[in-house]
Amino acid sequence: MPSRARSNGSSHSARRRAADSVDVPVRSFWSGTIAFGLVSIPVDLLAATRPRQTSMKLVDADGHALGRRFRCAKDGKELDQDDLVRGFETSSGELVPISDEEIEAASPEASRDIELHRFVPFEQIPRAFYVRSYFLAPAGRSAKAYVLLAKTMERTQRVAIGSFVMRGEAHLVAVLSDNGVLRATTLRYADELRSPKDIGLTKPKKKAAAAQVRRFTQAIEGLMRKTLDIAELEDRQAESLRSLAERKREHGKDVIALRGLVDAEEPEGSAEIIDLTDALRKSLSRKTRVATQDASAPREQAASVRKIGHARAKRSAATRDLARTSKSELLKLAAELDIAGRSKMDKQALVSAIRKAG
Amino acid sequence: MKRALWKGRLVVAEHAVPVKLYAAVEDRKVRFRLLHAKDHAPVEQRIVRKSTGEDVAREARRKAYPIDRHTAVILQPDELAGLEPPAARELDVCRFVDAALLNDQWYDRPYYLGPDGDAARYLALAEALGKQHMVGIARWVMRKKRYLGALYLDGAHLMISTLRRAEQVVSFSQVEIPKAQAPRPSELELAKQLIESISGDFEPQRWHDEHRERLEALIAAKLSGRKVVAFKPKARAPQSGLTQALQASLARAREQDVA
Repeated sequence: MPSRARSNGSSHSARRRAADSVDVPVRSFWSGTIAFGLVSIPVDLLAATRPRQTSMKLVDADGHALGRRFRCAKDGKELDQDDLVRGFETSSGELVPISDEEIEAASPEASRDIELHRFVPFEQIPRAFYVRSYFLAPAGRSAKAYVLLAKTMERTQRVAIGSFVMRGEAHLVAVLSDNGVLRATTLRYADELRSPKDIGLTKPKKKAAAAQVRRFTQAIEGLMRKTLDIAELEDRQAESLRSLAERKREHGKDVIALRGLVDAEEPEGSAEIIDLTDALRKSLSRKTRVATQDASAPREQAASVRKIGHARAKRSAATRDLARTSKSELLKLAAELDIAGRSKMDKQALVSAIRKAG
Repeated sequence: MKRALWKGRLVVAEHAVPVKLYAAVEDRKVRFRLLHAKDHAPVEQRIVRKSTGEDVAREARRKAYPIDRHTAVILQPDELAGLEPPAARELDVCRFVDAALLNDQWYDRPYYLGPDGDAARYLALAEALGKQHMVGIARWVMRKKRYLGALYLDGAHLMISTLRRAEQVVSFSQVEIPKAQAPRPSELELAKQLIESISGDFEPQRWHDEHRERLEALIAAKLSGRKVVAFKPKARAPQSGLTQALQASLARAREQDVA
C-alpha cells in the first residue's frame, strides 16, 4: 500500500492518543529475582506493550449494561461460580471433571525466580518465538548486580534463556539488555511452532532467475527507509472507531456512562471453554495473595523504572526517621528523588530537602 | 500438510507474488469446559440485562466504545459495518526497513507464506530479501479485519508476523535506571566468564512446557483411574556477596561442564 495521504485531523488525534496512553500507568504485577548463577537480582516486571484500543463494551440498544450468566444445560438452573467445575473433553466427547485441587497439584509451584539457564547469541532466536515483552526494573536497594548483568550481556552480545512462573503459568523467556535496560520476552515452546515441513512447504528445487531477483532487489531498494515512519504503524482500526465515537459524542448521540459495562469480546473463544491460565489465575490468586503480599503492594504509580525508584524513595522518606539515617543513606535517597545540589549538602540540609520532596 | 488460511497476492511496488498464508503457531493449550458441579452437565452461557436478569437476544445487543474513563458511545450495527475494511486479496508491502528497527516488542503472531502455483516469483523475492538485513512492513485485510505485519525470510521460506501497533509499544526511553555504583573490573571479568561458561546455541527443543505436560499427565491418569502425585520443586541456594556469588557460580558451572 503506498503511504496514504493522511488528513491532519486524524494523524493529530492518533498522536494525541499515543501520548495519552503513555500516561496510563504501567503496573508492575510481578516482582521477583533474576537468578544469575548464585547472584540474585531483585526486579519488578512492567509490561512493555499495551493492549489495543479497539475493545468494546456489551450493552443493549438503550445502553443498559449486559452481563454473562451461566446455566446448566440439563436442568436449566442458573449457576454461580461455586456451582462450576472444570471438565476436560476427550476426543470421544466424554467430559471428565477435574477438581481445583487436582489442577493446583499439577500447576508449577509459585516461584519468585527468573532462572537463567543458558546464554545464547541473540540472532539465533527466530522472531517466530517472541510472544510478549516486559521491562525488568531494578527493585533492590542496589542496582549494581543489575547493571553488571546488563553490561556483561551487551559486551558478550548474548541474551539469557530462562524460565519463570507468572500467574500460575510457566514461561520460557529471553532476558536481554537494550541500552542498559533489561527486558524479558516470553518465548513459545518449540512444539508450539510448526516447521515448514509440518505445513507441507518443501525446499525449493530450482533457483530463482537472476533477472527476476534483480527486479525484486530494485523494488525493495525503492521502498527502503532508514527510519521507522510511525504513521505507517498506527492502529487504523482504533483510529476509525475513536473518530466515529467522537463525532457521535459531539452530537450527543448514544452517549452513555462507562461504569458497570463488561467487555463485548469474550476473553478467548467461547466462555464455556476456558483456558487453563484463567482457571489457575482464579485458584492461585488466593494462595499467592498471602505469599506475596509484599511483592504485590500498591505499585500503580510505577509508570516507569525511574518512577518506581522515586516512589520507593518517597515511601522510604515518609516512613523513616531521617535524622537517625546515615549520610550515605540520605544521599542515596536524595539521588532517587533527583534532588539537585545534593552532593554539596550537609546532613541537615539533606534531611530537609528529602522531607520536602517526599 | 496444513490448509492455507488465506490466499492472495503479495505486492511489492509493481510486482505481485501469488501466495498462500499458513498459521505457524500450533495451539497446544489445555482447554476445559465449564460443568455444573452437581450433575457434571456442560454449562450454557447467556447474555442478560444486569439490572433485571432477563435474557437479551443477539439482535438486541450492541457494542459501546469507551471514549474516556467515564464515557462510552454506542456504535450501531450499520455504523460498525461502515468501518469494515473493504475485502481485498492484496498483501501490500509498503516499506522496507532495517530488521533491527523492529525489536521483539513488536512481534505478535507468525505465519508462513508459501507460493501459490508457479513459485518463480516467490523464489526471486525470497532471494532478493535474503541478501538484505531488511524486513518489509505490510498491511492486508483478512476476514474483515485489518492486519499489520513484518515480512522476512526464515531459512528458505517467507514468513510474515503480525506486528503490534505503534500505540502498543512502550519505548525504553521512558525507562530510566537509577544510578548504581559501577561494577568493578574484576566483577565484570567474573560475570563475563560466568556467561561464557553457560553459553551455547539456542536449542529450543531443550525446554518443555513442564506445566502443560504435568497437566496432560494428570488428565491421562484420571482417564485411566490412576492416582495423581503432586509435583515438588527443588530448593534454592542462599545468597552471599556479589563477588563470592560470582565465583561460586563459576565454580559450579565449571563442575557441571566437566561432568
